[in-house]
This record gives sequence, C-alpha cells and structure tokens, in this order.
Amino acid sequence: MADDPENSVDRPTDDGDASKPEKMFTLKKWNAVAMWSWDVECDICAICRVQVMDSCLRCQADNKRDVMGRQDCVVVWGECNHSFHHCCMSLWVKQNNRCPLCQQEWSIQRMGK
Amino acid sequence: MSLKPKIVEFVDVWPRLRCIAESVITLTKVERSVWNTSFSDVYTLCVAQPEPMADRLYGETKHFLEQHVQEMLAKKVLIEGECCHSNGGPDLLQRYYTTWMEYSQGIKYLHQLYIYLNQQHIKKQKITDTESFYGNLSSDAAEQMEIGELGLDIWRLYMIEYLSSELVRHILEGIAADRASNGTLDHHRVQIINGVIHSFVEVQDYKKTGSLKLYQELFEGPMLEASGAYYTDEANKLLHRCSVSEYMQDVIRILEYESRRAQKFLHVSSLPKLRKECEEKFINDRLGFIYSECREMVSEERRQDLRNMYVVLKPIPDNLKSELITTFLDHIKSEGLQTVSALKGENIHIAFVENMLKVHHKYQELIADVFENDSLFLSALDKACASVINRRPTERQPCRSAEYVAKYCDTLLKKSKTCEAEIDQKLTNNITIFKYIEDKDVYQKFYSRLLAKRLIHEQSQSMDAEEGMINRLKQACGYEFTNKLHRMFTDISVSTDLNNKFNTHLKDSNVDLGINLAIKVLQAGAWPLGSTQVIPFAVPQEFEKSIKMFEDYYHKLFSGRKLTWLHHMCHGELKLSHLKKSYIVTMQTYQMAIILLFETCDSLSCREIQNTLQLNDETFQKHMQPIIESKLLNASSENLAGETRIELNLDYTNKRTKFKISSALQKETPQEVEHTINSVDEDRKLFLQAAIVRIMKARKVLKHNALIQEVLSLSKVSFTPNIAMIKKCVESLIDKQYIERTANSGDEYSYMA
Repeated sequence: MADDPENSVDRPTDDGDASKPEKMFTLKKWNAVAMWSWDVECDICAICRVQVMDSCLRCQADNKRDVMGRQDCVVVWGECNHSFHHCCMSLWVKQNNRCPLCQQEWSIQRMGK
Repeated sequence: MSLKPKIVEFVDVWPRLRCIAESVITLTKVERSVWNTSFSDVYTLCVAQPEPMADRLYGETKHFLEQHVQEMLAKKVLIEGECCHSNGGPDLLQRYYTTWMEYSQGIKYLHQLYIYLNQQHIKKQKITDTESFYGNLSSDAAEQMEIGELGLDIWRLYMIEYLSSELVRHILEGIAADRASNGTLDHHRVQIINGVIHSFVEVQDYKKTGSLKLYQELFEGPMLEASGAYYTDEANKLLHRCSVSEYMQDVIRILEYESRRAQKFLHVSSLPKLRKECEEKFINDRLGFIYSECREMVSEERRQDLRNMYVVLKPIPDNLKSELITTFLDHIKSEGLQTVSALKGENIHIAFVENMLKVHHKYQELIADVFENDSLFLSALDKACASVINRRPTERQPCRSAEYVAKYCDTLLKKSKTCEAEIDQKLTNNITIFKYIEDKDVYQKFYSRLLAKRLIHEQSQSMDAEEGMINRLKQACGYEFTNKLHRMFTDISVSTDLNNKFNTHLKDSNVDLGINLAIKVLQAGAWPLGSTQVIPFAVPQEFEKSIKMFEDYYHKLFSGRKLTWLHHMCHGELKLSHLKKSYIVTMQTYQMAIILLFETCDSLSCREIQNTLQLNDETFQKHMQPIIESKLLNASSENLAGETRIELNLDYTNKRTKFKISSALQKETPQEVEHTINSVDEDRKLFLQAAIVRIMKARKVLKHNALIQEVLSLSKVSFTPNIAMIKKCVESLIDKQYIERTANSGDEYSYMA
C-alpha cells in the first residue's frame, strides 16, 4: 500500500492544485484500524458461558470452520435486550420460551450479521 | 491277463518278483515286458485266493530290503577290513554317497512297482491324521509302511545308525577343510558332502512330523558345536592381531563367508542357527571389545567404522545396541548445545534456528547414510534435538527457544529481498525445529503477536506465504492451535473486500472524501492486541467525515455490531504545504492530529494540545517525542508537558519529499516479552484447571498420581506443565469446590457435582 519513501525522493507533489487557496496540512491517506464486536450489554452468553465474540461451546466442539467473517455462530437479541448465541438460544426455546435472564416471553428483536 | 483273483502259490511268484526287485533297486536295466509282468505279480499276490498274501509279500520284501542294505554296507561302503580305520576315511563319504544315490533312486522305482500293495493294502491300515491327532496311537510295532518309506527306514536303521559317527566326523572334517582353504574346496567334494548331509533329511522326508529330527540329532548339533568352537578360536586370533575397526571388518567378511558356506553344505533349516552361533561367538561374546572404541568412533564420526558397527550389532537384540545409541545421542546433544549456547546479539533467533537446523540435517543425513534410517537412531536424534531445544540456560531462566523460533518465522515472512521459493523452503525447515519445542503455547503467543503486527502494518512479504505457514502449523498442532491465527488472516482478507465495496459505494453516491482511505476491521477476541482499552481521543474533524461514512456503511452491511477505532494502530500520510517544498509524511493518527492543530496558529502549549485532543500524558509524550525529533515542530523545553511551547518549524527542509516519522510502536519492548510470558502462564493455569475438571468429571474418583498422568497426557500437545503448577491448580479447584479429597485417603480426589 504505502509507497516506499526512498523511491520518490524528488517527485514533485501535485502542482495542479497549487493555484487554489490551499490548506497548510492535507490528509492524503489514512490506514485506519477498527475492531468490531457485538453490540451487547454483557459479552458472555449466559447459556454456554462463552464470550459472545467466540463461537458457542457446541460450535467450538464441532470444530466448525469460520467461514469468511464468521457468520455461522451469530448473536441474537430478544425484545428484552438480552443477547445470546443464536445456536444456544434456539436450543433453549425448545424447552422454555422465556429469556433465561429475565423470564420475559422470548421474541427475537434482531439477529447479528 | 485277468484281474480276477486266482489261486497262486507264493513260492511260485516270489522268487521271480524278488529277482526283478533286485534289478530295480540296483538300477539295472529291466525289460519293459518283465516290468509289466511284475506289476501283475504284485497284484496277484495281494488278491490271491483263498487268502490274500499281501502280508506275506510285505514281510518278504522287508526281509529282502534288510538283506540288501546290509549287503551294500558290507560290500560297497565299508569294504572289508577297513571298516573303522581312519585311513579308509577320505573315501567313506564318497562310497556312502554313491551307494545312497543308487539306493534312494532305486527305492523310488521299487515303490512304483509295489504301487498296488501301497495303495490298497497299506493305506487302509494307516492311521489317519485325526487318529494320530487324538493320540490313540496303538504303538503296534508291526505297523506296515509303504514300500518306499520302508526302504528309507531300513536304510536309516542299518546304514546310517551304523555309520553315523564316522560320517559326521568326515563331514565336519570336510567343512573344516573348506574353512581352512577359504571356501575353495573341490566342487565334487562339496557335492558329496552336501549329498550326505541331505541324505539325513531325505531319509525321513516322508514323515509328517519331526522329519528333521534325525538330521538335527545326528548332525546339526555336533556341527553347531564344532562351528562354535571354531568361531571362538578365530575370534581369539583376530582379537590378538586387530584393532576394533579391523575386527569388525573381518567379522563382517567372515559372516558373509559363513553364510555362503552354510548354503553350500547345509539344509536350509540350519542357516539361521549357524548364523546365530556365528554372531554369538564373534559379536555377542566380544561386545566389550567392540564397544571399547565406540566413543571415539562416534565423536570423530568415523562413518565406515560406525557403519560396520551398525551392521555387526544390528542382529543382536536391541538392548545391546543401546550403548551405541546412547553414545550417539550424547554426541548430538553436546554438538547441539555447543552451537546454540554461545549465541549473542541482535540476530540470535536466526542463528539459533539455523544452527540447530544444520545439526539436525547433518545427523539426519548421517543416519540415512550409516544407519539405514533405523528408527532407533532417528528417535535418538529426536531426543537429542528436543533436549537441546528445550534446555533452560539455568533452573530459574525460562527456555527462550519458542520465542526464537517464532521470531525467525517473523523475519522470514516480513518483506525482504529473499525469493519466495527460498522462504518457503526455510519455513518448511523451520517446522522441523518447531516440532521439538515443548512450549508450543509460548510459540503460539509470540507468533500471533508478530503475525498481528505484520498484518496490521502490512509488512508481510506475501499473503500466500502467511497462509502456507498457518497451514503448516495446523498440520503440526491441529485446528485449535491455529484457530485464532486463521481468524486474523481472514479478517484481513474480509477487510480488503470491504474496502473495495466501500469505495464503490462512495463513488456510486458521489461522495469524495478527499483522502485515500483503507480500513481494517478486526474481530474482537481474535487479535492479541495487548491492552485494548480505548485511549480517550477527540477525533479531529478532518477524520470525522470518513469515520461517519464508513460506520454508516458498515452498519448497513452488518447488524448488531459496533466498531471501536484503534487509533493507536492507525497511521496515514499528511501533505505539508507550509514550507518551501511540499512534503508527504507518514505518521500515526495522533501525530497527524497534533500537526493538524497548527493549521490555524504557529504556536501552542503542550497543555493546550493535550486538552484539545483529550490525550493522556503517556500517549501524548510517546507521540510528541518523535515529531520533535523529526524537527517538524520545535519545543521550548525538553520537558514536553504543561506550559512548554510547541512551535511550527517554518525553516524545515529535507531532501526527501516523502518520509516517515518513526514510531516507537513497532519495536518490541522487553516488557512486552515479559507480558507475553506471563499471559502464557495464566492461560496454562486455566487450561490445567479445565483439564482437571474434565478428567474428574469423567472419572469421579482418582488417585493423585493417576490424575497427574492424565493431565500431562492432555496437555502434551501444547506444553509440558510442571507438577507444582498442576498441584496449585488442584488446590484452587478444591477451594472452589469443584473437587474434594476423599475422606479415607489422603491422595485421592473425588468430583463434586
């Protein structure tokens, strides 16, 4: 990405915009680094006790490969705003259709993607 | 000719038949018509009326054969007056051999002649296999045999039993003569001796079991004994006049000759026995002598001698080779230690791996060349390498090999001028050393940190090489080991994709951010970023638009995700237009932010800068220092804090128009290394506790030692824990009430549900 500075010793910088009233400092390039995480209040899934950023316990045991972007073990948010691994929750609701944390009726608010 | 049984007189037929039998057995010519008549004579007697005369025929034939053999013994083999005199010796074998050749052939023909008797009369009486198996052998002395067998048995009884000791003596003399003449005994003589020896086997060949018994008792035993004595004697002689090296050469030669001699004379069943006798006397009895120069041979790497020693010792049971192997192992170990212990300086990791590889290659080649890739030697090489690589310099100091090997990979994978094929080869070799490392978890920690740096700062030589290396590690240690490395790698390729899509999106919506934006989005949890706590930072408005555009786009693409900007890892290029020439400078985000403040004024105090950007002291100092050093800004005092004035240097010149403000960030500090090692310890404790719980949950109750063993085997893949650490983990689990000591026994634990 970044050109090797040594190779461009005497290259004139863009003369074209010299006529315009120019700022003293201009941003030319920015290589930024950001980190994404699930937008959750508690970063541990209360069902399997694994961080929601990691695959849930079952998926880890199955050695599921992370496909590009790791979309196979996502997070799910309920109307109560509590969040769990989708895999964990879909097993949970088979037995008990309530949020394990607040006992409200479980209904999905949104899913991670 | 009728097949109908008729009345015949035995005495009418027998003399005629006997006469033919005699001709047959002495291989005299017999007219075909006479031969044919004799068949029917046998038949007639067997089915004679009123009583079959088969038994009588059998009896008479037996008698005839006995007589014949005795006659042969007397007239042809012994020759009067010379029976037991040694001067008749040289020809006894010859005479016996000729007689045997004739008789053994004749008896086969006679067997044919008596085929009716054999098949109809005798087979019926024969004990079947089942009967003999169940052992209800009526030891009926008068049991009848087929004529061929009978003939051989009579030969054994009257000929061999009588002559055996003489024969054996002559044979042994013959073999001794062959040894003395270096195997140049006359071909004819060899044939005779071979024939005589094999007659002992052939004479009993018809027996279903124990057909070699006669041969073994009569001949093999004495032969082995005589050979043994000869070997001992020879070995003594050799010992007196040769060095170890010559002795081994001679022994190999003798073994070779002896096995050829054995093939020449003996029955196949004796070959391994004689070989063993030979090895016993020349090698096993002389091990002390052979080993006496072992140490020198190994340390001087005398390949020919080592090769000979290997050949000589190979047939000897394994435990005896151990001395050679131990010496060899010690030798590799000391050479290995020598090449890696004296290392110093910046590039210690490169020297460490490459020296170790040299040692490994050298001995691998030597084992292939000298020891036929014997697995015992290969495992000695493994042991030696493992012990060198995992050696701690002192009891207290940790072993740093894992770190060195990881750094070596880093050096290879970073941009350099080395060609790709060479790098690939070196990475493959590197795995050889990696496999010996016990602390694989330490390696993983270092490797993932270095990989993170390479990926974020785009220092990788090639992504293919990176992926190749991760795959190699996966092959060696499994998916678990490289899981996070894979995720890091994937994040980078996903980000490249994302950037492209984002740029297309910008173009489509006619937005020009005015800067060249490249954003990496990393997955939380997968990257070893040390402390990821967010440093407070007021983002300058120059960045804000870019950030907002990207965040909006990202949230449209994904849902439920939040982004945290890691400004301490971002960098960019700033164009400076306030000087005579314009410059493009690469620097970090915080540094860009600082310089951007001077757009509107030429001088600011440190406090003002810090307040505007919300930077804490540490971050400010760390990033301000390099700018001052680069002379783009001037400071009124060395103390970069408080009221110290920072001014724009308007006289700045640099002959390069594009340059970089160095940052301290990319250099690895000793604290970081320390931190890595500590975090490994933490991980190990967790791993061990989990392992203990898992084991106890399965076993319910377990003795202390058994538990330790199971923990060790579980953790083998990634590290070798020390026992004290396991004990501590057990204690802490008892405190946490996962397990408890059982009431009646001090060294037993039970799982608490």
